[in-house]
Parts: sequence; structure tokens; C-alpha cells
Amino acid sequence: MDDRTRGKPGSWRLGVLGAITVLVVTACGGAATTSAPPASAAPPASEAPASAPASEAPASAGAGGTVTVGFISPTTGFVAALGTDMKRGWDLYWELNGNTAGGVTVETVYEDDAGDPEVALTKARRLVEEVGVDMTAGPILANTAYAVADYVGGQGVPSFHISGADDLTQRQFNPLVLRVGYTSSQSNFPAGKWAFDQGYKEAVTICPDYGFGWESCGGFVSGFTGAGGTIKEQIWHPLGTQDFGTYVTQAQAAAPDVVFIGSAGGPDAILFWESWTSFGMGETPLVGNCCFADQVLLRDQGEAANGIISFSYWTEGADSAEVQKFVEEYESRHGEIPSLYAAGSYLMAQVIAGALEATGGQVDGENFVKAAQGLTFDDSVYGPIAFDDTNNIVGGVNREHVEARDDGKYWNVVDETIPDVSQFWTYGKDAFLANPVFSRDFTSQ
Amino acid sequence: MTADRTRTVAIVAALAVAVAAPFVLPTYLVTLLSLVFIAALLASSIDLLAGQGGLLSIGHAGIAASAAYAIAWGTTESLALPVQLGLALVVTLVVSAVYALTTMRTRGIVFLMITLALGIVVYGLALKLSTITGGQNGLTGIDRPEVLASSSAFYLLTVAAFVLAVVFRAVLARSSFGLVLRGIRESESRMSSLGYSVTRAKFLAVMLSGLLAGLAGVLIVWQAEFISPNVASFNRSAMAVVMVILGGTGTLLGPLIGAGVVVGTEHWLSSYVERWPTLLGLVFIAVVLFAPGGVVGAFSRWRHGAVRDRQHVEPGTRAALPSLLEDQGLAGGVDGRPSEPQ
Repeated sequence: MDDRTRGKPGSWRLGVLGAITVLVVTACGGAATTSAPPASAAPPASEAPASAPASEAPASAGAGGTVTVGFISPTTGFVAALGTDMKRGWDLYWELNGNTAGGVTVETVYEDDAGDPEVALTKARRLVEEVGVDMTAGPILANTAYAVADYVGGQGVPSFHISGADDLTQRQFNPLVLRVGYTSSQSNFPAGKWAFDQGYKEAVTICPDYGFGWESCGGFVSGFTGAGGTIKEQIWHPLGTQDFGTYVTQAQAAAPDVVFIGSAGGPDAILFWESWTSFGMGETPLVGNCCFADQVLLRDQGEAANGIISFSYWTEGADSAEVQKFVEEYESRHGEIPSLYAAGSYLMAQVIAGALEATGGQVDGENFVKAAQGLTFDDSVYGPIAFDDTNNIVGGVNREHVEARDDGKYWNVVDETIPDVSQFWTYGKDAFLANPVFSRDFTSQ
Repeated sequence: MTADRTRTVAIVAALAVAVAAPFVLPTYLVTLLSLVFIAALLASSIDLLAGQGGLLSIGHAGIAASAAYAIAWGTTESLALPVQLGLALVVTLVVSAVYALTTMRTRGIVFLMITLALGIVVYGLALKLSTITGGQNGLTGIDRPEVLASSSAFYLLTVAAFVLAVVFRAVLARSSFGLVLRGIRESESRMSSLGYSVTRAKFLAVMLSGLLAGLAGVLIVWQAEFISPNVASFNRSAMAVVMVILGGTGTLLGPLIGAGVVVGTEHWLSSYVERWPTLLGLVFIAVVLFAPGGVVGAFSRWRHGAVRDRQHVEPGTRAALPSLLEDQGLAGGVDGRPSEPQ
């Protein structure tokens, strides 16, 4: 190789590379290399999300002050759609109600966890150690939520969640953690009982083969067998299954009276429903969980999804002033009916605002979470709700079905509301917690 | 020689800065730097194979995750620390042996595909064996040993581990075994006709690389004090390869620079730039196009200019990606040189 003849293009390439490297390395500040000048990593103010206040007092605020909330959601990666909905729901609450509560201004610092628990942890560390937030809200995936709750709680900082991961408010209960939502199993207990009451004696369940699916099916199986039914077969499919044909034929061969589908939503729900209908199973009674017949499925399937029965705490077509106000405002901004995740985040913001009102803007670790836990709502996007003593919602579960709205869009409407459903259903806290968390091998309390 | 002296001074200065960092930086940045060093350690384990032997693995997160799960399980079972570490070592050796035995007769794309598959197997096991691994939800509350509780103490351990890996690779590169590996990279058939056991050398190389990956795994779980199957995900393995290529394949410090860029983007820049994955992709494309030897390769080419004294070039400064393709007869050589006759 003759380097002299290559001199010029070589240095041009180096120049481009150098420019890019400098850009990235300066942007990364101290993170990039150890030889970078220490602590010169102050973020440019214009790029900082919402605000980057220097907070010396992480666990207090008070009238006239500012309370900072670290909001973690996955806005990139494979669950980016959920994270985006969460952010929209959160922002909508503060937009409609103003960002002051209890005499303090609420500021949000947004973080993207990319759906990865380790990234979520680093982001939580940044929020607590660098930004000095007073509390965190989110994330959504069970493993990210466990990781964040464990760390943030360990730092004495309150964290609010909408993730369904059962143990967050059960065997891993932490007085600094409050779930503004339901456990994955909670809304499926009444689904099992209802199915038996309809005269169905034998059921088949189809759930994704991981924590959320085990817990969803666990709720249904417990409710159904508890009422006297028998489970013919439990079918587990991998999350992200492309072809549901084999699972649908397994269900078909078992010839049950009723089938329960505990879907994680998204593409899984759509692909399952396509297989289900194309195998001529449309006439077999089917009951879905919270996340099966949600807006993601309805936007895609439209009329084909008409009539699906499911059990959820979020029903976009519920006859409630709170729900309809939220749906209307959300739709006018984003052009689509809000999903469960948007509603959950909206409610999470409402609960935080309520707790700030109750404490007069004081954020003081466990006391603040206690104040939030003491709130009750006569009406919310999830209907009338309260919290139990392990910081999880006790509230109504709706039996709902899909139908067309006046403008032709499909949504869920309420047929019946089962009031005051607890995460421990009818078993009682102690008896429930004596058993292990739901798993593939343990689905019946 | 002055060049040697300059190098010594540079090394001592860099070490001093690295050791002093936790005493001046805020704890969050120290945590971030630990992440960089741990990622660099995993990248180094891949580069040991890629740089020396031309064997690119995209399943090494699987080995690291196995060791990490051993520690996590040991902690939940309240085993003594030495027992935990022993368990992690045994698990690392067993898993590495599986990697080594299944790949020792392969090279190029086949090697890459088998490691990819093994990584996914480990991921699947982590997901399914939920009584041990906690399944998708993972395991929380895996506190690291008391002495390492503070973020600065743990950071110093990660620095020490990375320095150990650098020394280990430097010694290896100068050893006769290192020469054998480089010989295999250049021409497998030539090495076997010279009487070397190519298979045995590859087995040993994968085992040594696995040890470094296992060490990284122990640090990964201690860093997060939490574990979930994401540790074994394809994404982790692929990102480690990206670090190797960004920094410069076959270089001792390349993995650190690559890890700095990737971890910095993923964990830090993402707080400020929403489209950080795009940015990372663009940087990667730019490096592959304009500096196939990575950042370190480009730097040393610039420093040595036209002289290009062989003695000053780090051993094996060749890009693994082109040489990997070369093995398959897919590329025309590196730096515009025609391929050597095989």
C-alpha cells in the first residue's frame, strides 16, 4: 500500500470520522472515556427534556416549591407504542388540570427505558442521583418495573406504577411503591367465575408463556375452578408467536365449552384473532383479558372483532363522565381512541396530583405514598376506585363487548360491572400470599 | 526509547485518571463509568476471538449471563461468596465448553451462526427455568458483597477487571499460542499442514474468551443488583460486537472506546436525544465506511503516518469483519490490498 498517494482521501475520511467522534464523545461527556475532562457533562439546556432542575433536597418540597417527577416509559424499542401512549396520557392530565397541585408546581423529567431493565435502572439512577427527583412514575414492562421499584424504593424515594406484575404489591410489597392499576390476575378472577355461571363446565386457556401470561391465566383458572369448573387444557404460546394455527387446532381438538385468551395484546392479539376466525372457531364462546380486545386489535380488525367479550378495568366506551371526557380530549389531540396504557398513565398523574393536594405539596417518602394510598375516587377512568393496604387498586372490573360507535369506529362498551374487586379476589390476603406467585406450574389458587 | 517512555507515561496517566475518577465525579457518572468498563470487558472477550483468531461471536452475552445467573441464584440461596464465585466459575467453564465444542471445527459465518444460536438457547433457558431465574420478571435484591457496596469501590473493581483483561490479552498476543491463533486467522489450512491442531487451538481460545465473558457476567449482576433474561438477549451480544468494531478489532483499548460510545449513547445520550438508536446506527455506519480498523485503528494509522513501522503497530490491527468475509471469499481484502493467496 502506498500511503503517500492515499494521503488526501485518507485525511478526508479521518476528518469526517473525527468530526463524528468528537460530536458523539462530547455529547457523551464523561461517559465516553475515562480521559475526558471530568464532570464537564452538563447537558445543554435546550436539549434537556422538560427540565433538569438542580435539586438538593430529594425528599421534600412544600408550598410554592417545585416537585419533580421522573417519568420512565419505553419510547424506543419493541414496546415503543405503549411508551408513547403512556406519555400522551400523562401529559394530557397535566395539560387539562394545570401542573400545580397542593400549592407546588409539578415538573416532569422524561426518560426512555427502551423496554430494557438495565437501561431502566440506569435511568432511574440518573433521575434519583443526578436530577434528584422527588418520585418516579412508570415504567410498564414487568421486569423493568421490578428493577426500578427495587432500586428507587431502596433510595427512600416513592415510585408509582401501572405495570401489572403481581408481586409488585404482593410478595415484594414495599411501602414506597404504589400501583395505580390492577395486577395481571386481578380482572380475570371474575372472568372465570362469570364463565362458570354461564353454564360452561370445561375450559381451555391460551396465554403467552411468561409472567404476564401465567398471571392472567392464573386469575381465570382460579376463578373458574373455584366456582366448580374444570380446565381441560392450558395452552402456552411464546410471546411474539407468528402462526397461532397449532394452538388454535389444539383448542379445537379439546372441544371445550369456553376458551379464555390472556393476551399481551399487540401483534399477538391480532394474529391470534385472525387464526381463530379463519379456523372457523368464531362460534366457540371466548373470553378475553384486559389487553386482548383493546384498541390495538380493534383498529386493525374492525368489524371482524365485533362482539368479543372480555373483562377489563379500562373500557373506552364506558358510560362515565370521566371516561368520556378523557376519550374526547385524547381523540381530539391524537386522532385515535386511547388505549389502556394512556388511561393508566392519566390516572397515575391524577393520583399523584391528589396526593400532593392531600399533603400540601410535601413529598416525604412513605408518608406521601400513604397519602396516595388513602385516596378514593368516586369516578375515574377506571370507575370508582380505592387502594388496599398493599397499595394496589380495589375497584370495578367491567364485563365488556366490542361494538361499533356511531362514527363506525369499534370500541368496548360495558355490559356489567363487578364492583370492588381486590387483587386477592375472595381468598383473603394471607391465604393468597401463602401460595407462590402464579407460574406455568401453578395457576390455581 | 522515547516512544516506549511516552507510552508508559500515557498508561500511568490514564490509570491515574481512571482511579481518581470516583473521587471527583458524582455517583451517577461513576455508575455509568462502571457500566462502560463492564461492557468493555465483555467486548474484550469477544475481541480476543475476533481480533486474534478472526472468529466473530454474537452469542457471548449467553456466557456472561450464565455466570451472572449463577451469582444471582447463589445470592438468593444465601451461599457464601467464595461458593458463589466457584459456582459462577464452574457454570462459565461448562457453558464455554459447550460453545467451544460446538464451534471448534467451524469458522466465518458458520461460527457466527452457531454462537448466535447458543446465545438464544441461553436466553430461552433463562426465560423458561423460572424457578431458578425468575423467568421474564427476573430476580431483584441481589446485593453485591459488603466491601463493594459503594459505587466507587465497585467502580474500581470494574477498572481492575478491565486492566486485568488488557494485560491478559497483551500477554496472550505475544505468546506462542497467540501466534498460532493469528496463523489460523490468516490461513487455517496452512496451520494444519504445518502440524498445528487448529481444532484444539480454537477450543482453548473460546474457553479463554469465555472466562473473560464470565467475569463480565459477575460484574453485570453486581452492578445492577438485579437480573432478567435481557442480560442474555441477542441485543446484548450484538451491541458487544458493535463495541468491538467501533473501537477497532484486535486492539486492546478499542473495546473500551466502543463501549464508551455505545453505553454513553444507550444510557446517557438517550435522556436528551429521542432518536438515539438512529444516531448510534449512523456512527456505526460511518466507522465501518471510513475507518474499518475502528477508532483505535484510525488513530494509530494517523499516528504512524506513512512510516507504518511494523513494530509500532499493535499486534493484529486488522478488522475482523473484512477478514471474516475474506474467509468466505466474499471480500477483496483490507485497506485496498488484494487478498493474500490462501
